[in-house]
Amino acid sequence: MLTASQIAGFRAAVGEDGLIIGQSLLQTYECDGLTNFRVMPEAVVLPRSAEQVQAVVRLCAQDKIPFVSRGAGTGLSGGALPAAGGIVISLARMNRILNVDLANRQVIVEPGVINAHVTQRVSAQGYFYAPDPSSQSVCTIGGNVAENSGGAHCLKYGFTVTHVLALDVVLPSGELVQLGSSTLDTPGYDLPGVFVGSEGTLGVATKITLRVVKRPEVVQTLLAAFDSVQAAGQTVSDIIAARMLPAAMEIMDALSIEAAEAAVHAHYPVCKGLLLVELDGPRSEVEALMQAVQDMCRHNGAWEIRVAQSEQERALVWKGRKAAFAAVGRISPNYIVQDGVIPRTALPHLLDEIGQLASAAGLRVANVFHAGDGNLHPLVLYDQSVAGQEEKALELSYRILQLCVDNGGSITGEHGVGKEKQEALGYMFSEPDLATMQLVRCAFDPENIANPDKIFPRPRLCAEKPGPYVPHPLETAGIAEIF
Amino acid sequence: MSTSAALTLEQGAAQLAAIVGAEHSIVRGNKVVAAPADVQQVAEVLRFTSANGLTVMPSGSGTKLGWGNLVMPDIELSMVRTCELREHAWQDMTCTVEAGCSWSTMQTQLRRHGQMVALDPLWPDRATVGGIIAANDSGALRLKFGGLRDLIIGMTIVLADGTIAKTGGKVVKNVAGYDLHKLMTGSFGTLGVIAEVNFRLHPVEDHHRTWTVAAPDAALPDAAFFAAPLRALMDSQMTPSSVQLRMSNDECALDIRIAGLPECLDEYAARIQSIGGQIAVAESGEEVWEARQQLFGENDALVLKVSVLPSDICAVSSVLQQWASAAGLKIAAVAQATGLMTVALSPALDVAITVVERLRAKLVDLGGSVVALQVPNSLRGGIDVWDCNSDALPLMREIKRRFDPNRILNPGRFVGNI
Repeated sequence: MLTASQIAGFRAAVGEDGLIIGQSLLQTYECDGLTNFRVMPEAVVLPRSAEQVQAVVRLCAQDKIPFVSRGAGTGLSGGALPAAGGIVISLARMNRILNVDLANRQVIVEPGVINAHVTQRVSAQGYFYAPDPSSQSVCTIGGNVAENSGGAHCLKYGFTVTHVLALDVVLPSGELVQLGSSTLDTPGYDLPGVFVGSEGTLGVATKITLRVVKRPEVVQTLLAAFDSVQAAGQTVSDIIAARMLPAAMEIMDALSIEAAEAAVHAHYPVCKGLLLVELDGPRSEVEALMQAVQDMCRHNGAWEIRVAQSEQERALVWKGRKAAFAAVGRISPNYIVQDGVIPRTALPHLLDEIGQLASAAGLRVANVFHAGDGNLHPLVLYDQSVAGQEEKALELSYRILQLCVDNGGSITGEHGVGKEKQEALGYMFSEPDLATMQLVRCAFDPENIANPDKIFPRPRLCAEKPGPYVPHPLETAGIAEIF
Repeated sequence: MSTSAALTLEQGAAQLAAIVGAEHSIVRGNKVVAAPADVQQVAEVLRFTSANGLTVMPSGSGTKLGWGNLVMPDIELSMVRTCELREHAWQDMTCTVEAGCSWSTMQTQLRRHGQMVALDPLWPDRATVGGIIAANDSGALRLKFGGLRDLIIGMTIVLADGTIAKTGGKVVKNVAGYDLHKLMTGSFGTLGVIAEVNFRLHPVEDHHRTWTVAAPDAALPDAAFFAAPLRALMDSQMTPSSVQLRMSNDECALDIRIAGLPECLDEYAARIQSIGGQIAVAESGEEVWEARQQLFGENDALVLKVSVLPSDICAVSSVLQQWASAAGLKIAAVAQATGLMTVALSPALDVAITVVERLRAKLVDLGGSVVALQVPNSLRGGIDVWDCNSDALPLMREIKRRFDPNRILNPGRFVGNI
C-alpha cells in the first residue's frame, strides 16, 4: 500500500493527469495479453519524458517500490503483469518519432511509438521497419524491446535486437544512461544486446535508435495446400536445402485455417497443411526462385498453389495468418497460445507427439508455425466451463514446452518468459546458467525492483551466492550433456 | 608469478600440470601457459587460479593479444586444444564449435554441406573462434549478414570461479533468459572464458562478383568523391554482400560484391555501372577483400578501428587523407559501408597520435569512436587505446565486479581499465 506522501511524490513527478489511482481505472492495467494472471497495481503513472520516468524511478528506488513498465499491454507471457504492492509505468504517452535519418537508415523513437507507425513514417521513401509481430498495429517499440519481438519475417531480417542500435535507459537506480550508440561497436560491453529481451527487468528504455531497411524491389507470396502438415514441413526443408533464405515461411494446420477463415475470410484453400512462402529481393532473382519453390511444392504433393497477384491479395493472405491467434476464439471458448522452438528437423516428430498428448488429454490443438525457424505456436483449445479442462489444458501446454526442450529447442521464441514460463525456464537452464544470468540482473538492479519475480524460477537476492553445481535433470537422465 | 606470494612459477606450473597434463603446462617468461583439453579442465584451471589469486589471460592463436591494454598475466589459458567442430546440424543450419578451433578449419567443414558462418574475420587461417568473438572482429560481409551478435545463438562460458554456464541454445529463434553471449562478444576475456559456441549458418554464396569503381582522376584522389555514388548504391534495391572504400595517400576506390543467381549477375553489373555514371567500373578479383588484413602487415603502423555513421565514411576518409598527408604520414584505410573503418598510419611517430586526437575530437560532434588496435611499442603509453567516455561505464564496472569480483580475468585490458 502506497503512503500518501509516496502518491504525492508520484503526482509531483508526472502531474495530476499522469497519475491513476482510482480502482476502476487501475483495472485496465491488472494484466496484459495473458489474462489469467491478474494483479492490481497500487498506482499507474504515465510520464511524458525521460526526466519524468527518472523522477518516478528515483522515488521507487528510494522507497524500494517495485515497478513494471508497460507499452500497449499486448504481451502474451505476463511480462507487464503488475508486481504486488508496486506501480505500473505506462509509456503510452511517450509516443513521438524523434528523428528520421535515412542516409544512415536510422529512426529514433520514444518507447510508446507503435511498431507499424515506424514503417508508415518511412515507407514513402522506400524503407520499412522489419520486426513485425502479429500485434504490430498496436504493440509498442518499448514492448518489442523488452520482449525482443520477432514476427514472421525475422527468418530473413532478424529480431528486434538486430534492429536496435542504441537506447537511453533509466536504470532501476533512477540514473539515465545511454547504451550503445548510433555507430557500430561502441567501445565497451554490448549492453544493448543484453538489455533487449530482458523483459523490463533491467530498467526502462526512454529513447530507442532503430535500424530501418530498404524495401525490396519485389515481394511475392505463395500459398500451397498439402494433405498433411508433414508434407508442408518437408517442402520447407527442401527450400532450405536449396540454399534459399525466404523472407518468411509459415505453416498452418486444418484447425487454424478453419479459425482464420471464420474470422477474416482469407480464402485459404481447405487443407490439412497450408504453407505460405514469401520471397523478396531483386525482381529477376525472386521470379526465378519462386518458380523453384513452386516445383518443390508440387514435388511434395501440393494440390493447389497460388501466388498473390496484387498487394491486396498479399495483405489478405497475411491478415489470415496474423489473425490466427485471435481467430481461434471463433472455434473454442477458451484457448492457450503457446510459443516454443525446436530445430526445424524435429518438426514431424514433435507434431506426432503433440497429437498423442492432445488425444490423451481429450483436447484439440491448433498449430501455427513460423516454419523457417522452427518457432511453433500450438493453440490449446479448451472450455473453462467444463470442470477440470483448464487444468488439463495448462498441463498439456507445459508438456509441449518440455517436448521443445527435450528436442533441443527453447521454451519461447518470441513471447518471452514473463510470469507464465518461469518454471519452464528452470527446465531449460540449469542452476549455474540461471545464477550467471542473475549476475547481470543484480548489476543493473541490486534491489530487485524492476519487474521483480519475472523470468527466473524463483526470486534470488543479489547478495545470495549460487550454490554448488547441481546437474540438470536432463543431464542426470542422460538426455543432455553439460557442453 | 607476480601476484601470488604463496606460489613460485614452478609450483604453479606443477599444479596446473596435474590438471592439464605436464606437456600442456609450460613456463614461458614470467607466466605459465596452460592448455586444457576440455571445458571441465578449463573450469578446474580457473578454480585453481581463483583460489590462488592468480591472474589469467585466455588466448587462442594469439593474433589479437596485442589489442586492448597490455596484460601481464600469471597464467595464459590457451584454448588451442579445444578445437573441434562438435556438431553441424546442416538441415537446421546450426553448428556447435569449440573455442580453440581456427576459423578456416570450421568453415572448411561447414562447406561440405554448402554452409558457412557468414563472417570474414582477420587471419582466418590462424585466428580462433573464441578469440574472434572476444575481440568482436568482423569483416566486409557484416553489411549483409550482421556481426557476431547476429550470428551467435548460444554459448558455453566458464566464469572466473570455475562455474560452467550455458546461454542461448541451438535454435535461431530464442528469447529465453538473458542473452549472455551478447555480453561476452567483444568483452575481451574480462567476464569469462568462451568455451564453446553455437552459430546460425547461412548458405555459401556460390555465385558472386566484385566490381571496383575507381576515382576518376588518379592525380587527385579524394575519398569524398565517392559519397554520392555510395549513397545511391545503398539507397538502391540491390543487396550487396559487401561494400568497402579503399583509401591511401594517393589512391581511392570503391569495391562492391554482390551474390546472386548466375543469370542475374549481369543485370547487377549494368545497374552498378549506371550508379557509377561516367566513372569507370571494372570487375575485380577477390583479393581486394584482403585489403583490410593487409593494413596490419606493417609492424610499425598504428592501426585504428574507427566507427562512424555510414553516411560519414567518405568525408571522414577524406579528412584523414588530408591530415595524414599534411603530417607526412603514410595512410591506408578500408572503410566498410556499415561505418566501420580500419585505418593504418605509419611511421609510428607522435604526429600519428595527434591525428588520432584530432579525429576523436571531430567524432565528438559527428558521433563515433576510435579504438587503437595495433599499437607499436614506441607509442604504447602515449595513446589511450579505448577512449571510452560512455556514461554506462560505471554499469560496465559493476557487471565486471559481479562476474569477476577478484579481477583475475584480463585485469585492466578493457575499457576504463576493466
